[in-house]
Amino acid sequence: MIDTASLTDLIRSALPDARVEIEDRTGTMDHFNVTVHSKSFAGKTLIEQHQLVYGALKGALKDGRVHAVELKTLIPEKVQ
Amino acid sequence: MDPLREEIDREIAANKIVVYGKGTKSMPRCGFTLETIEFFDRFGYPFEVVDVLENVPKREALAEMTNWPTLPKVFIDGKFCGDTDILGPMAQSGELQTLLEQSFGHAGQPKTTIELH
Repeated sequence: MIDTASLTDLIRSALPDARVEIEDRTGTMDHFNVTVHSKSFAGKTLIEQHQLVYGALKGALKDGRVHAVELKTLIPEKVQ
Repeated sequence: MDPLREEIDREIAANKIVVYGKGTKSMPRCGFTLETIEFFDRFGYPFEVVDVLENVPKREALAEMTNWPTLPKVFIDGKFCGDTDILGPMAQSGELQTLLEQSFGHAGQPKTTIELH
């Protein structure tokens, strides 16, 4: 279990400019739909974009604070 | 080389599509694994599901190898392709169909529904 502010902080530790939208899928605060908008994704493949986010969430996934994530990464339109 | 890594290399070399997930094809034990099985059922190519739910060392070896902490993990033609969050958009753009046709050397043969009159 993790609160949305901590989850956002974790993602911003890797992607400081990220805009993060979080939806609790199950009401248990450990299965999330996460959408991340960041300029850092520009020029990267979808896999690389997801790897950036997962890199930041590695610890929380490993210790079980986060169980599952459905992830969506987006580049803010003006830098696309 | 690490024997677990060798085992994974053998599996992804022997099967064009490998899904590492929780549970088996006939008995998935995780919603995301089921979703991935249903996803590949639509394309009509053979695919292998490897259950790593209880195999923590192998899960760690896979995470290390792919820099991807979650299951399921999909490999196509030996190459890591993420999960349905990646494959879904690839299917929408047609990129996945091209990759599968190239890997298998032929178009997929989705199961057809037989209608009874």
